[in-house]
Amino acid sequence: MIAQHLDLPQGTLDLLILRTLALGPQHGWAISERVQQRSSDVLRIQQGSLYPALHRLERRGLIKARCGTSENNRRAKYYELSKNGRQQLEIETGAWEKLTAAVAQVLGVA
Amino acid sequence: MFSDLLFRLRSLFRRSIVENELDDELQFHLDKQVEKHVRAGLTREEGTRLARLQFGGVGRVKEECRESRGLTLLETAAQDVRYALRQLSRTPVFTTTVLLTLALGIGANAAIFTLVNAVLLKNLPVADPKTLVRIGDQNQCCVRGSAIADGDYGVFSTHTYEEIKKNNPEFEDLAAMQAGFEYRPIIARRGGNQDPARSVVSEFVSGSYFNTLGLKAAAGRLITDLDDVAGTPDTAVMSYETWKNNYNGDPAVVGSTFWLNTNPVTVVGVAPEGFYGDRLATTPPSFYLPIHAMPLLLGAAYVNDPDTAWLYVVGRLKPGVAWGPLEAKIGVQLKHLFANSKLFSSAHDRPLLGKVHVILTPGGGGIQNLQQAYVDRLRLLMWIAALVLLIACANIANLLLVRGMGRKAEMSVRTALGAARTRIVRQLLTESIVLAVLSGVLALAVSYVGARMLLALAFSGEQHVPIHASPSWGVLAFALGVSIATGVLFGVAPAWISAQAEPADALRSGTRSTAAGAWWLQRSLVVLQAALSLVLLVGAGLFAESLKKLQSTDMKLDATNRYIVHVNPQAAGYKVPQLEALSRTIEEQFHAVPGMVKVGLSTYTPMEADDEDFGVQIQGQPWLNKGASFVKANAEYFDAVGTRVVAGRGIDVRDTSTAPLVAVVNQAFVKTFFKPGENPIGHRFGPPGPKSPGDWEIVGVVEDTAYTSVRWKNHAMYFTPLMQTPPSTSTLDDPNSDVYIAAIVLETARPMPDMEAIARRTLAGINPNLSVVKFQTFDAQIGDQFTAERMLSRLMSLFGALALLLATVGLYGVTSYTVARRTSEIGIRMALGAERGGVIAMIMRGAMIQTVLGLGIGIPVALLCVRFVKSQLYEITHMDARVMMSAIVTLAVAACIAAIVPARRAASINPVQALRME
Repeated sequence: MIAQHLDLPQGTLDLLILRTLALGPQHGWAISERVQQRSSDVLRIQQGSLYPALHRLERRGLIKARCGTSENNRRAKYYELSKNGRQQLEIETGAWEKLTAAVAQVLGVA
Repeated sequence: MFSDLLFRLRSLFRRSIVENELDDELQFHLDKQVEKHVRAGLTREEGTRLARLQFGGVGRVKEECRESRGLTLLETAAQDVRYALRQLSRTPVFTTTVLLTLALGIGANAAIFTLVNAVLLKNLPVADPKTLVRIGDQNQCCVRGSAIADGDYGVFSTHTYEEIKKNNPEFEDLAAMQAGFEYRPIIARRGGNQDPARSVVSEFVSGSYFNTLGLKAAAGRLITDLDDVAGTPDTAVMSYETWKNNYNGDPAVVGSTFWLNTNPVTVVGVAPEGFYGDRLATTPPSFYLPIHAMPLLLGAAYVNDPDTAWLYVVGRLKPGVAWGPLEAKIGVQLKHLFANSKLFSSAHDRPLLGKVHVILTPGGGGIQNLQQAYVDRLRLLMWIAALVLLIACANIANLLLVRGMGRKAEMSVRTALGAARTRIVRQLLTESIVLAVLSGVLALAVSYVGARMLLALAFSGEQHVPIHASPSWGVLAFALGVSIATGVLFGVAPAWISAQAEPADALRSGTRSTAAGAWWLQRSLVVLQAALSLVLLVGAGLFAESLKKLQSTDMKLDATNRYIVHVNPQAAGYKVPQLEALSRTIEEQFHAVPGMVKVGLSTYTPMEADDEDFGVQIQGQPWLNKGASFVKANAEYFDAVGTRVVAGRGIDVRDTSTAPLVAVVNQAFVKTFFKPGENPIGHRFGPPGPKSPGDWEIVGVVEDTAYTSVRWKNHAMYFTPLMQTPPSTSTLDDPNSDVYIAAIVLETARPMPDMEAIARRTLAGINPNLSVVKFQTFDAQIGDQFTAERMLSRLMSLFGALALLLATVGLYGVTSYTVARRTSEIGIRMALGAERGGVIAMIMRGAMIQTVLGLGIGIPVALLCVRFVKSQLYEITHMDARVMMSAIVTLAVAACIAAIVPARRAASINPVQALRME
């Protein structure tokens, strides 16, 4: 099962989290599921790196945390994008696109 | 960045909450994952297992979360501090030594700094001290009837002050104050009730005094120019301290009548709280009185004499006034004023008129007499304290280095286990800083105690100490700053050196490879300490010598079984015509006391802080512009004091007010006014003047008894009978108040411990108002004059001993370490046949070489420094060989003791054990 999944290049985890949260506040597990879904199961976030990344992003002030109630009435920690986070998301998305376009050019892929 | 800091702080301080949150969050995730698996068809058990597998180690995730929360710097700092405290408490000897050393070094400095701050830098508690100026820069106390030789005028007559005030609109306001108010206490008694009469100090000031200083009354009102007019009812202002302490802040005091020297005076108000006068003095004034009340209260007619200077002048300048032109202008005004004064009338004095000038000095600190007297000593103390601190820091550095060396093995293991170099250095540095901060706190306590001790020594016996010993914020900052700087400075080097350890080295046994740099650093520190200690020891020795010389100088008096009683008959209501009868009565009454041998009466006595002088011209000779001090005394005075008559006769009972005027002079007088070999007896002299009156005939010569101070050599004096007043000085409105006796000198056959009670009784029997102003044995009075020197000598000895102790501890530490380091080497030597004595000698040699090097540096430095302290010493112009030798010997002995203990330890090393330690 693991062979089908690709390892995330460094630094992209943060980008994925930010993008996922752009759709609305979610808790950690939902973020993990969402990424998996949207990437058609190709990307699977290591559980062990998700939470440290979330905490790191919180420390940098890009996402904010608050307590909320989940679907089945349990208390959970919800994250949402902050204003800085939105800005950072745009910046990093732009950088990613530039990077991939450049690499694709070099590799001769359209 | 701010959010980052807040985040980290939250992590630090609300740890448990944060931890719980983390647990909950991860648990939630796990639960969701399990549910997902269960929904997909697995059993709960299998789902849980799979979820856990997928998650990875929960513990590791938590740790990574914690790390990403950025706990690194703050939390590790807290960790370091806790660890440091634990380590320090495990080596109590080291910790205590360092704490004490640094606390004493910094505390001493802070104490001196507090005093310097309080004495030298303090401003008067008045409005806007920066705009105050004083006209004058010297201590020219107290009443002057002659021209000032160098022309630098800082003391003025009433008339001169008024003229300056009138002609200089540059001053917003100008005030005059009595120069020597401490020497003329008055007797004050509150009118109405049975309040006992007290002897208090009062100051006569101009009406503009309080206005110039910008003060407001604490109660009632303050005196103004309107009160300072001749003929108006006498008013006074009481000081806040007197009001609170003596009269309990009773509001009825305002407006009530007080009897000052038996004259009624209305107290119109109380000065503001905290105002202690215009200068630092040991007895601040209790009453402020207008100048024009002075003739009545003190009988001092010089208030109205334009040629007698007795006032200091302080004023507030208008903004933007330049000092230079103002100084010049006042100088010119004075020259005009004095042109017709009799002081400059003689041919000798005319040229002095050209030299007359004034110097303006900042007046914000008040009259700087006390400061000027103490500034040299304070500066010396500051230097000494700084040297002691230097020695202390060298000690600390050594101790930290040794400690660092000793933990090399530990550091190597840590490095091997993966600790970063910087982390280790940071931890060692934290230890040093923790130590330093603790010392800093201790140092504050030391500084407070030290400052109080210094003040007690300096002002011993005085009721009122005008300086407070409480440390200010500046001192606190200084102490903490120095301690932290020391910690960092002397912690960095050992920390860095220790962190250089190669792990492999330590895990390999034996610590033979040492950083050579550290070793040299240690040794040079010890040499430095030895050198500085020698300098301080020599200093202590010199001051002790100086004090001994001072105290053993032949003062040409006899203090055995002598008692001095100070009285104030003027305050008791006696007028001049009654004095002759009073003197007779006092003599008779005291002679009636069993055991009394001599009863001397005089205006003042040897070795007390009083002096009266006058210009003197020998009849028939030109005026030399010199004066002499004079004492009026009765016949038994010379015997009572122990002054020997060497030619002619002393004062006699025949010398009554109607007999021819005679005087007895001392040998210094003869040397000053007569040529060698000339016989002074028979010559006449009097006050200087063109008429050159020969008021007094010299009938005898006495020895040079020391008056005022032992340091005052060539002190020309003349003694006249109590009741004789020359006609030429009676030109003033009131008779010369100098005829009032102020002292009774009693000689008894044997010591009488209850003399004070007897004296009080006897005087009360003559007149209940005649109270004892001060009672002392002659020895005590003389001893008082040496207080400052004694204090300085004691402090120097204290600092010298401290320096020696620190240097000894330093040498001991280094030698111990050397022995520990060379244990295996010594073991080998002994195994190969070295004797115990040889080993001891080897260790001692090392220690003594350092000491000798220290001496080699210290001796020339000490010789060099003598010239800086010469001014403080009495009759010591060059290094005393004995002092130097004893300092060297003391240091050498201390070094031996410091080295012998570890040396013996080295000699008792068991070779087998030592080798096994490899």
